[in-house]
Amino acid sequence: MARTSSTSHGETAVLGKGTNLRGRIAGEGDLRVEGTISGDVALKGHLTVDDGAEITADVQARSVVVAGAIEGDISAQEAVAIRAGARVVGAIRGASISIEEGATVNGRIDADFELPPELGGKAR
Amino acid sequence: MASTVISHGITIEGELTCDDDVVIEGTLRGKLVSKDTVKVENGAVVEADIAASSLSVGGQITGNVTATDRVDLMPGSRLIGDVKASRLTIADGASFKGNVDMDV
Repeated sequence: MARTSSTSHGETAVLGKGTNLRGRIAGEGDLRVEGTISGDVALKGHLTVDDGAEITADVQARSVVVAGAIEGDISAQEAVAIRAGARVVGAIRGASISIEEGATVNGRIDADFELPPELGGKAR
Repeated sequence: MASTVISHGITIEGELTCDDDVVIEGTLRGKLVSKDTVKVENGAVVEADIAASSLSVGGQITGNVTATDRVDLMPGSRLIGDVKASRLTIADGASFKGNVDMDV
């Protein structure tokens, strides 16, 4: 439960277990979600969605790690990591996307990379 | 370390309900209900009604607050709104505008 990994702006905000937000959350820093959110999330920092957490809305952040559930589109400037046991229903967009075995993903995946020419060349 | 921390630079608009304690260092607009302690730190801006078991204010609140236990207004804090709590302290240097109801 330590306030670790401060990156862009100060410390990590935490929505703990048993916390339920109906509304929007936005800001500069990092956020770790252990509770539930139904409302948009827009961060300039990193977003971590812990096991047991649930987000029902679109999510925007610099990078996203999901171990819980997200029902909505995920959009990141950097990496998106879907951990084992996570559940995602919605489009995932990021510079790089990783999905672990045991995760459930239902939706479109849109990664920003160039396909090598032998695979068709024109990416996206 | 509180279970829920709205850190500096984070803005929440909406209704936040918590089982555990909450620390607000950023901005909250809407409504906050916690079964435990709520701490509004110096520099925090809250435009919301707050219900909690106890509330400690070092920042700015515009809204009505209700606590089952107590409300403490620290030096430098600013509360515009009504207070409903059986115990209330207002420190020297705190500013407060509103009604007090200690008959809970």
